[in-house]
This record gives sequence, C-alpha cells and structure tokens, in this order.
Amino acid sequence: MKRLLLTYSLLVLAWSNPLSAEQIEIDVHGMTCAFCVDSLQRNLGKLPDVESAEVSLKLKKVRIETVGDTVDIERIKQTVLDSGFTPVKISPLPDAK
Amino acid sequence: MQNKNWPGLFLLTASLCVPTVQAMGLRSFVALPVDKGGKVVRLQYQRNTSTNTDVLTGNAAYGISGKQTLLFGLPYRVSPAGSDRTGDLSALYRHIVWQDDTAEGTRRLGLLGGVVIPTDSDRDARLQAGAVATFYKGRTEWDIDALWIQGLDDTSNQARYDIAWQYRLSPAVYPDWGIEPEWALDLELGGRWDEGNTMVHQATVGLQSIHRQWVFEAGVVQDLNGPDDTRLIFSTRFHF
Repeated sequence: MKRLLLTYSLLVLAWSNPLSAEQIEIDVHGMTCAFCVDSLQRNLGKLPDVESAEVSLKLKKVRIETVGDTVDIERIKQTVLDSGFTPVKISPLPDAK
Repeated sequence: MQNKNWPGLFLLTASLCVPTVQAMGLRSFVALPVDKGGKVVRLQYQRNTSTNTDVLTGNAAYGISGKQTLLFGLPYRVSPAGSDRTGDLSALYRHIVWQDDTAEGTRRLGLLGGVVIPTDSDRDARLQAGAVATFYKGRTEWDIDALWIQGLDDTSNQARYDIAWQYRLSPAVYPDWGIEPEWALDLELGGRWDEGNTMVHQATVGLQSIHRQWVFEAGVVQDLNGPDDTRLIFSTRFHF
C-alpha cells in the first residue's frame, strides 16, 4: 500500500510540473493497430511545443521531440487521453545531440 | 424475384446493412476508437449474389471526446433501379463506460443509443440501444456487439448481434518505431432478426489492409440459415 502511494505521488509530481527536456518518452497503454494510433501521432505533432512525435506499437511508447527545453506535460497527457489511450509514465531522454 | 418485392427487400437489406452495431470487423464500425475531434468515413459496397442486389452504404463517425462518439450510417441501393433506393439514416451515440488499457492491449465496454430516421414518409422511425465490447491482446482482437431496434407505430422490431475476431497476419513483429501497414484476417458470426421472422445467422470471412489513415477490406458473408444468401463486401475507410 505504501509503495503504491509513493508511486502514485511520484507520478502526480511528474505529471503536474513542466518538464525540462528536449526529448521525452511516454509509455502509452491501449494502443492497438496502425489506423488507431495515427491520430495520436498527428495530434501530438500539432502541439505548439512539440517538434515531432513518433509512435512505437512494439514498445508501447511515444517519443516526442520538443521545440524548446520545456514542455507542458498536462497538455500532452490530455492529448493522449483525448486520443482514446492511457498515458502511464513519462521519461525525459538524454540529449541525443 | 418479382419487381414488386424489391422495395421491401431493399428496406430489409438496408436495415441489415445499417452499420449500427459494428465493431472493427468487416461489418462493424462502433468499436473503432475515434479520437476527440477525429472523423472517420467509410464507404462500403455490398453485393448480394443471390438476389442480385447492390447496396452502397456510407458511414461517418465523429469523436466528441476520447470516450464519446457519434456514428451515422446511410445505405443506398445501387441496383436494381426504381423507387425507394435510399434507406433510413442510422444515428448512434456511443459512450465508453469502462476501459482497461494495458501494455498488452485493451478491454473496453461501450453503450449505444440512438435512432433510425426514415427517409421516406411511408416508413416510421425506430429507436436503438445496445452495447459493444472490445478485447485486444497481442495480435488478436475480439469485438462483440448487440443491438435492439425498437420499431415505432406500426414498424417491426429488429435485433442484431456480431462477434468479430481479427488476427494480425503481418507484420508478425512491429518495428521499433514508426507505423507500418498491416494485414489482418477477419472472421465474424452475426445474427439479424426481424420481427415475425427467425434469426438469420451469418458467417463472414474477410481480409483487411490497414494503413495509417485508411483501411481497405473485402470479404464474403454467407447466411447459415434462412435465405441462404451470399454477399460480397468491399469497403474503404479513412480518418482525418
């Protein structure tokens, strides 16, 4: 129970604060076929602070390259929810450059 | 078949073709997830080789939110010619009331409610209510739906069910990144009931070519009892 609460708290903290990163990965649950996830990739790509978005049906992830070094996590989370899927975990990536 | 019978036949066929309770199978529409603000359009051509009847059905879906969708369908009899070629408009609202997304797939339950709006003053409206469930894991998806269509005034009641099983033939393994076209096998068992008649059970076998923004699918539908009709289906759907 304590472990669950701690995990939940960390997730809430991660979700609620703007993230400083140029690349992030989001674990997304519920993704199925190509036709289903294309809208998710396009919708994320339309966000103002997202330069590009790429989906992996194999890894169940979405990789986002941001325009600046901060990104609105809540908006990204809501975009995933609005696409009909469940965002699970977000991880900043080391700068690939 | 005598000419005087085809209007009634078309109406029955049109009502059967109305994509009111259809999942992601060949004959289905309502289990398809539609994103908020998303739009999906499908055009389906169906030929009944037993009665030589051709019907073109247009479907549209609009995502009100990630869990709420409006679904519409309107059939049009291409042949034989004559009057009463336009079927009735089906309008359905779907609400996903339960959703369990995992890394392996998803399970969802949606409730359906709506109306069938007649396009001819000689026909009455109908109310419709039902449910659709989706189970997806790995390369396999099950879509199960059922619908009750309540006739108003003198119109008969109807009911239908569909059980669709889809299996991803390719790719066997997804690439690490990117969206790749897919092929899927579709097998379905469905039933159509019109008040005063027995339930006609139908088996469907089809193939789906799935791309990022469009799907092309084709299949054969065979009555397992009753009229013993055979139908060919060709359809394409795309979202934007």
